[in-house]
Amino acid sequence: MTEMLPRPTARAEPAADEIPADGRRRSHTFPPESIAQIQRMAEEGHYEIRGWGAKRALPSFDDLTFLTASISRYPLEGYREKCETRTVLGSRFASKPIELDIPITIAGMSFGSLSAAAKTALGTAATAVGTSTTTGDGGMSTEERAASQLLVYQCLPSRYGFNLADLRKADAIEIVVGQGAKPGGGGMLLGQKVSDRVAGMRTLPPGVDQRSASRHPDWVGPDDLRIKIEELREATSWEKPVYVKLGATRVTNDVKLAVAAGADVVVVDGMQGGTGATQDVFLENAGIPTLPAVRQAAAALREIEMEDQVQLVVSGGIRSGSDVAKALALGADAVSLGVAPLVALGCNSRTYQRDGISHDATEDYRALGTEPGHCHKMHTGQCPVGIATQDPELEARLDAAAGARRVINYLKSVTMELTTLARACGKSDVHNLEPEDLVALTVEAAAMAGVPLAGTNWIPGEQR
Amino acid sequence: MVQVTEADTVLNCAELSTREVNAALAELPDGTHARITEPWGRHNLAVGLSNSCTIEIAGNAGYFIGGLGAGPAITVHGFVGWSVGENLMSGSITVHGNASECAGASAHGGRLVIHGDASARAGISLKGGTVLVGGDVGHMSGFMAQAGVLLVGGDAGDALGDSLYETVIYVAGRIASLGADARIEELTADDVLTVKRLVDKAGFDHIDPENVKRVASAKQLYNFDALKDQKY
Amino acid sequence: MCGIVGLHLKNPALHGQLGSLLAPMLDCMTSRGPDSAGLALYHDEGARTVMDVYKDVGLPKEICARYDIASRTGFQGIGHTRMATESAVTTEHSHPFTPTEQLALVHNGSFSNHATIRRRLVREGHVFDTDNDSEVAARYIADQMTKGADLDDAMRMVLKEFDGFFTLLVTTSSQFAVLRDSFACKPAVVAETADYVAFGSEYHALASLPGLAEATVFEPSPEVVYTWSR
Repeated sequence: MTEMLPRPTARAEPAADEIPADGRRRSHTFPPESIAQIQRMAEEGHYEIRGWGAKRALPSFDDLTFLTASISRYPLEGYREKCETRTVLGSRFASKPIELDIPITIAGMSFGSLSAAAKTALGTAATAVGTSTTTGDGGMSTEERAASQLLVYQCLPSRYGFNLADLRKADAIEIVVGQGAKPGGGGMLLGQKVSDRVAGMRTLPPGVDQRSASRHPDWVGPDDLRIKIEELREATSWEKPVYVKLGATRVTNDVKLAVAAGADVVVVDGMQGGTGATQDVFLENAGIPTLPAVRQAAAALREIEMEDQVQLVVSGGIRSGSDVAKALALGADAVSLGVAPLVALGCNSRTYQRDGISHDATEDYRALGTEPGHCHKMHTGQCPVGIATQDPELEARLDAAAGARRVINYLKSVTMELTTLARACGKSDVHNLEPEDLVALTVEAAAMAGVPLAGTNWIPGEQR
Repeated sequence: MVQVTEADTVLNCAELSTREVNAALAELPDGTHARITEPWGRHNLAVGLSNSCTIEIAGNAGYFIGGLGAGPAITVHGFVGWSVGENLMSGSITVHGNASECAGASAHGGRLVIHGDASARAGISLKGGTVLVGGDVGHMSGFMAQAGVLLVGGDAGDALGDSLYETVIYVAGRIASLGADARIEELTADDVLTVKRLVDKAGFDHIDPENVKRVASAKQLYNFDALKDQKY
Repeated sequence: MCGIVGLHLKNPALHGQLGSLLAPMLDCMTSRGPDSAGLALYHDEGARTVMDVYKDVGLPKEICARYDIASRTGFQGIGHTRMATESAVTTEHSHPFTPTEQLALVHNGSFSNHATIRRRLVREGHVFDTDNDSEVAARYIADQMTKGADLDDAMRMVLKEFDGFFTLLVTTSSQFAVLRDSFACKPAVVAETADYVAFGSEYHALASLPGLAEATVFEPSPEVVYTWSR
């Protein structure tokens, strides 16, 4: 075996022979990315705008693991015995709560940020698996309403395209106070994506850089939000659930206030949540990760004894059935996915299909200065796979029916992963997962999730 | 101040919940008239209605009066709270009194007439509606207004028309200060005609259409100023 | 986040009705602040002015009944209904905050730099009863006045030092003052007649006052200190 070991004289990068090792020493404070960013700022004179979500490493659901059944707990038959996934949202005040077949919903993403084909594909897929989609900051598109059996209509600070007729067509209303990608900030859609149709829906001139408001135009603060919620309920005969969506920051207080203001459902969007465009500084430096956000939100509801009346929906970087199962165990009633279904649609794929033929999009990614697997260029409107664009040529690269099939497959797989873990924990209903089913793999995750470090009884920060 | 009008339906807020009042209003056949009595600052009266009825509110009302409306003609004999006629789609709201902040916020259509003063942020985020104020408006009025018209018969507070898009603001009195990207433009013959038409509709008799200032967007904030390199 | 009301009676003939006028005003603010409520009422005892403070957890109507507010007399009073934001629902977290025997403050809004100002005041020896942001403003104003500022100046210093959103109503043994931040995003309505100055978060809190139809009604401008003196 010794001949397999590298010889002492071998170099990893022979091309750098002439540069001494010390001359290539990487700075932790100023790595090449930081240097590039400073140089870009010096050239252009403004902050970096991009899409996607936080890219930094954060404590996440990956840092938790389930204590599945053995002798002390008995499992359900993983391939045979039923594990319920049905989920009801909005039972507090709404006479017509939302009934979902799975606790996995599609988050608000605007028509404008996404192409009509992408919105149609998401709606079609959600309908097929029995869940809801959400409109986004640009009004309700006819395609989405037609495709989506259960549609949540967002009421955002911009109020682009918000109107009574669409409000009545909606199945639920989501008042967006903030989002995890940019809690405290307003929406953004750069001029490249503001086509005539998008501009018309938003009552703005085509081509403007839309920088939306951070505060609602007609109320500020929880005392006035309470009146606003009543208005929306009155306008819809108290039929539709009212969600309040928060970017995760001061979660405990904000959740309690949303409940005091009259929310049926509180949506908490963690720091990993995605967006079509915002400042990089916001994405990487504002809000708290989804992991502690779920725990704090669930604890806040329990503290005011409302966990059985108000449902908690959690979002921000959720990708898999294990993420969903962990969010549910920590106290969420459902989760909301944004980036993940886009990836299922083909976001960051190397290829796209057109007229049944596969085409390589690598060159188009390169033209944007990126590669498949790394692209966060939604803000440019030049999406190489036709998802985050308003360019008809590019949009034609996404076939809505084919995209829907991929999203259906993805959502089904996530649900199977979820029920696999739930059954193994001995649950006949995914909503019976509880924090006690989890342990943490890192001290940070144990502290943030409020579950013991694996192999110990220790929850950092808790009295023993 | 309260005018007594023949009403098909009388709804007394002292006896009815907001839900009961609004449910009764939603059932009104087109062309009928309802009168809401003893509102005592009640919020959310006559919101989200799409029938073509006339509604009179006899007294002071609270927030969001006539909000989201798409049809009725509402008259208030009294003061109204925040965000009267917010997100109005069509129809009209007439207030014989003062309006608090954010009057006509994000109104997409219809006509809001305030015979008294409006407070801060009148016509904020306006999207095509017509907001006619006989008296003064407070600071940040017309903030981020996208389309439609705001007419001020009295004086305007600080930062008028900040971050204005395509809304045009006419002011008969003084302007304390203009907001970012708002500028005073020359009054054209078309403007005079528009103002005359609006003044007539509102029933204002103290505004000389030839003596108003036209405030519109300088359009310098439509795109990032670093747009020239097209790199974001 | 809350509802606030206040009444400064210029006409001594109305002093007997202070409580009976103020209690319904507070009741009107219930939906803005259902968690707790409180009042500070001022009356004269001989040459001395006395400020009485009542605060408790519960609905404004119950609290007014519990302390028989309607029967109280005096020349001015302020009241507050609280929807708790960043601190707990307890009696001591309820407004008004009364850092001295003569000064009372009620606040609607949310300061964004109160922790820093609190640290500075603590270093200077001030003792706080709660973690409430409004208490910081109350103690700050009291501190400014102890150092010689009049209420006007102290309120102007609040504008300089405090960031965030606020509508403040502050009273002393002789003055009644109103101040809003530069955004003026939290509601405020003032009605003034020859007999009184009244303040409410919403107009309807004032609607039951006598002679309101003849009052000058306005919404205080941002960054302007309004004061009325006896």
